[in-house]
Amino acid sequence: MTYKVTEEGDTSTVFLDGEIDMDKTEGAKEVIFPLIDAGKNVNLNLSNVQYMDSSGISVLIESHQKALEKGTKLIVKDVSKSVLKVIMMAKLEQILNLE
Amino acid sequence: MSTEVADTTNLSEKKDFLVRSSSLKDVRSFSREVFEKFKINEDLREELVLAIAEAAQNIVKHAYKDYPDTQDRMAVRISCTEKELEISFFDKGKPVEKSKVKHRAIDDVKPGGLGTFFIQEIMDSIKFKEGDKPWINNLVLTKKL
Repeated sequence: MTYKVTEEGDTSTVFLDGEIDMDKTEGAKEVIFPLIDAGKNVNLNLSNVQYMDSSGISVLIESHQKALEKGTKLIVKDVSKSVLKVIMMAKLEQILNLE
Repeated sequence: MSTEVADTTNLSEKKDFLVRSSSLKDVRSFSREVFEKFKINEDLREELVLAIAEAAQNIVKHAYKDYPDTQDRMAVRISCTEKELEISFFDKGKPVEKSKVKHRAIDDVKPGGLGTFFIQEIMDSIKFKEGDKPWINNLVLTKKL
């Protein structure tokens, strides 16, 4: 997994890349959580993530809940078809902010 | 990767992997190669890869929870007939307590507890067996084709 972060005002956009599994979740958290802790709104762009398992889905849930606690917003953007299928299997399409 | 061909409609491939989270990408690659070779419907392939990776992840996370530096290996065997796909997992970790294998309530949204749910959603049957020596656990997943 690789990533890139861009900043615009109080919003950070995190572009993740690759396959997100149990082996990559700590790396994803290390990128996303400090931004939420700093009070940023976070756009999580998943257009280049072609595979995500239950560990990756847990990172999305944890990030979403952390943002709610901090009073910021996490938006999951440009989800690839394969990852959207997994999000829908977990019945999270109405819980996460998807764009 | 070993190939066993019993007849033209019964194919089987088996491979073993070090029990580590870093092996999961290799488990997925193996599965994708086998599904391509077996000409499994493309729409079904990635779902099956997810189920296989979740089962392998459960071995790493649960059967070897207290042994992160183990040198043990786990094996995955994918067998296919015209009508059914059978995926078997073999490991030498802590014996599975079947009563404890359950997913979280799907409407209780919190991190974790989804791997087994995904396997149940994707596969038609899940059976935990005692492994024949030297294996301890043998999980068998099936899917009608």
